[in-house]
Amino acid sequence: MNEDIFKKIKKGNKEAFRHLYDEYVNYAIRTAKAITRNEELAKDAVQETFIRVYRNISSYNSTLSFGAWFYRILVNECNRLLNKEKKTIPIDPSSVEMLEASKEDATDLYEIIQSMSDLYRIPLLLKYIQGFSEKEVAEILDLNQNTVKSRLFNGRNLLKDQLALIEMGGK
Amino acid sequence: MDQMDERAKKEILKHTEDSSNTLQEDIWNHIDQELFQEKKGKKKSKIIPIIIVAAAVVTLLFSTQTDTGMAFIKQIKDLFVPEKQITQSIEGTEEETDVILQEGKNSEYIIYIDEERYKLVQGETFDIITTKEPLEEKYPEVSMKIEQFKDKTSEEMLAMLEVKLPTEYTNVTATETVQDPLEGYKLHGISGSSWDSPVTNVYILDNKNGGSFVITEKYFLEAAEGHGARFYAMLQQFEIIQ
Repeated sequence: MNEDIFKKIKKGNKEAFRHLYDEYVNYAIRTAKAITRNEELAKDAVQETFIRVYRNISSYNSTLSFGAWFYRILVNECNRLLNKEKKTIPIDPSSVEMLEASKEDATDLYEIIQSMSDLYRIPLLLKYIQGFSEKEVAEILDLNQNTVKSRLFNGRNLLKDQLALIEMGGK
Repeated sequence: MDQMDERAKKEILKHTEDSSNTLQEDIWNHIDQELFQEKKGKKKSKIIPIIIVAAAVVTLLFSTQTDTGMAFIKQIKDLFVPEKQITQSIEGTEEETDVILQEGKNSEYIIYIDEERYKLVQGETFDIITTKEPLEEKYPEVSMKIEQFKDKTSEEMLAMLEVKLPTEYTNVTATETVQDPLEGYKLHGISGSSWDSPVTNVYILDNKNGGSFVITEKYFLEAAEGHGARFYAMLQQFEIIQ
């Protein structure tokens, strides 16, 4: 994403913003779906993220990569909507399209990741979906890079163990 | 990336595919409506120019107790409906609330107040909106202070408050430029993460006359979606009278 686009967006240029939207929306939706496990919440989170990005683009500071800044807003928005949803429980289970998987039911790596605690789940999702580096995941989640490194390491080990169990069960 | 990582990536992407193919366009339509269509149709200036300069001078010279002062207040009030209903989102639920027109110190701004819950108290140097009924002692302060600094620009106030706020709150987030509920700078601070942790939002806006308005909200974490949301909705009705 070049500086020119940001300048145009700051001036309110809709085409420039649409360009940014087209570039980011696909993976933003995937990330939000994976974090919220709910298509409706994911849609709201992505929508609100782009609105916030547009309205606050002048406060974006280039010491952080735009991707990290964007995904920080997205992850915060997903968490905000999930917290809001928790407060208004009971949730009608039929309305939740992607329920949390349990370890016992997990049959593929996606489900294994979804059965993990957010501590490991979210860094792993960011790493796998967008290919973010440890440094970028740390920037997005506002964590120390070593913390992220250890969470990714532990998360991957959990993933390996569960995968081995599934494969043993299949044989 | 090893084989497991590649497989994990592939499976995540498969599970998060846009099955409908319409989601991206749906989201864009909402964004377009919110950011670009409303702007064309509904967006109004937060500054209400009133060509009654003479009356403004008179107001500064005479207190609101004089007949002339009172007449000016009436002229301002006549420009706005005295009472209206707003829709605000409180804890995820849309709520219709009746709000009453109030003018601030020296009639330099107007705001609509939810008078069922709050009152506007005019002070010597600032106005403050507080709960109508005093809160129990266990609750931290809930208030919204509106103060004008006629000789300090919003940038000058921002520089001062960016230094001051971290001395009062343990966690102060990066300054944002916001359009909602007001156009200006927003500072946010919080101390702690328990239900009663004090929270502040400070909005700094240009008074379009070389000075600035500073609006300081104070509430506590658990009240973010209650008092916090109500303050937000009231601020959306704030207008500077120039």
